[in-house]
Amino acid sequence: MGKNIAIGCAGAAVAFLLIVAVSIGGIYNSLVQLDQATEAQWAQVENAYERRADLVPNLVATVKGAANFEQSTMTAVTEARAKVGQVTPAAMADIAKDPAAFQRYQQAQQGLSSALSHLLVVVEKYPQLKATGNFRDLQAQLEGTENRIAVERQRFNKAAQAFNTRRSSFPAVLVVGFFGDKFATKPYFQAQSGSEKAPEVRF
Amino acid sequence: MVLRRSLPVLIALVSTLPLYAAETPIPESPTRWVTDTANFLSPETVQYLDRRLDGYQQDTGHQLIVYIAPTTGDAPIEDWAVRAFAKWKVGRKGIDDGLALFIMTQDHKMRIEVGYGLEAVVPDAIASRVIREVMAPRIRAGHPDDAVKAAIDTLTDVIGGVADALPPPRRPKPPMPWWARIFLGFIGLTFFSFFVSFIVSRIRHRPWLNPPSGSGGGGGRGAVTGAQDNSGGSYSGGSYSGGSDSGGFDGGGGESGGGGASGDW
Repeated sequence: MGKNIAIGCAGAAVAFLLIVAVSIGGIYNSLVQLDQATEAQWAQVENAYERRADLVPNLVATVKGAANFEQSTMTAVTEARAKVGQVTPAAMADIAKDPAAFQRYQQAQQGLSSALSHLLVVVEKYPQLKATGNFRDLQAQLEGTENRIAVERQRFNKAAQAFNTRRSSFPAVLVVGFFGDKFATKPYFQAQSGSEKAPEVRF
Repeated sequence: MVLRRSLPVLIALVSTLPLYAAETPIPESPTRWVTDTANFLSPETVQYLDRRLDGYQQDTGHQLIVYIAPTTGDAPIEDWAVRAFAKWKVGRKGIDDGLALFIMTQDHKMRIEVGYGLEAVVPDAIASRVIREVMAPRIRAGHPDDAVKAAIDTLTDVIGGVADALPPPRRPKPPMPWWARIFLGFIGLTFFSFFVSFIVSRIRHRPWLNPPSGSGGGGGRGAVTGAQDNSGGSYSGGSYSGGSDSGGFDGGGGESGGGGASGDW
């Protein structure tokens, strides 16, 4: 009798532990999935920014061709481009652990955004330059890239939000601590003037 | 179990509400290749282009759609277009080789939205030229039919008629034969009844929990339904949509990343 009860209790305990283990496994897997989705979306964001940075030398060369184009504007763009290059693109995993790095990355890109939009405003003063096919194509590419950046940033925020929601809701929030900072909260892109206002760059 | 699933969903729903409530809603996916809710084009042109784009899709697999409406509301056309593209799933899944031409007649705005897969063939500069040099002058001159026809001419020329990287059409998985389902059901039933009888035998002596002998059978029936539900779920996902030969537009799962160009007149 007493033996039977003991066996029953042990069985129940084993069953309970099994259930706990399985559900932690489920939480872990779903977090990994969302984590990977954010990672992939981060790569897309970096791609879009990279694309813009690649456009700059071409743009600078084209604009330089215009007679006595404002030197200060050119320098500002070149410098902002150089700064972007210095902020080495880091993997999302590192950036999630280091919000300051994310901040630096965003600031450098922001600098390039405003330098470029200033350049496009200044170009207004040079109608001959504006009329060249080469410049118009570059401008279209620049606009398209700004729009891509806005789209990918927005998608990144959605992916990060899906992850953060999952990780901070019950019961995942009880177990994320077991895995150290592997499942740290993802940072968001903050809405700042310039970058997500791609249509405004046009005139 | 129920809590584990529904709570995060509820939190997600509540927390996204303020984020997306302000977005201008996107209409339901069009069912034709050319949709003109603003009477911008003549009915003949709509029909002609619709047939043409249908044929183009059958030849090359690329989905090109034209969508004409009065306005995007408060949303900038770029934002609206990328969301509409995602909602309607223009282009084939995995290749994202769709392209959409949007014209907003009241806003006097247009946009060519290019799927990820066509960004290499229709770079922003080309899309912008189609809008600036092909469409805008014709619309300004009062020839909207010509404008859209010429745009489609140019775009199909640029993209080309070659179907690249066509995936073999996905065939739905054959449903599990009846004997396999019965076999699975039996296995499930056997395991479940073993489990139940084990538990019952452990607690049988307790007077307050003396279960009626029928409860094992009841659990068994539950196990059979469960097994059938599972097998049902495993093969229902195979249906193939997109690129159907019915003649209408049916999104294939494509996506765009904001590539393309916008313009006005």
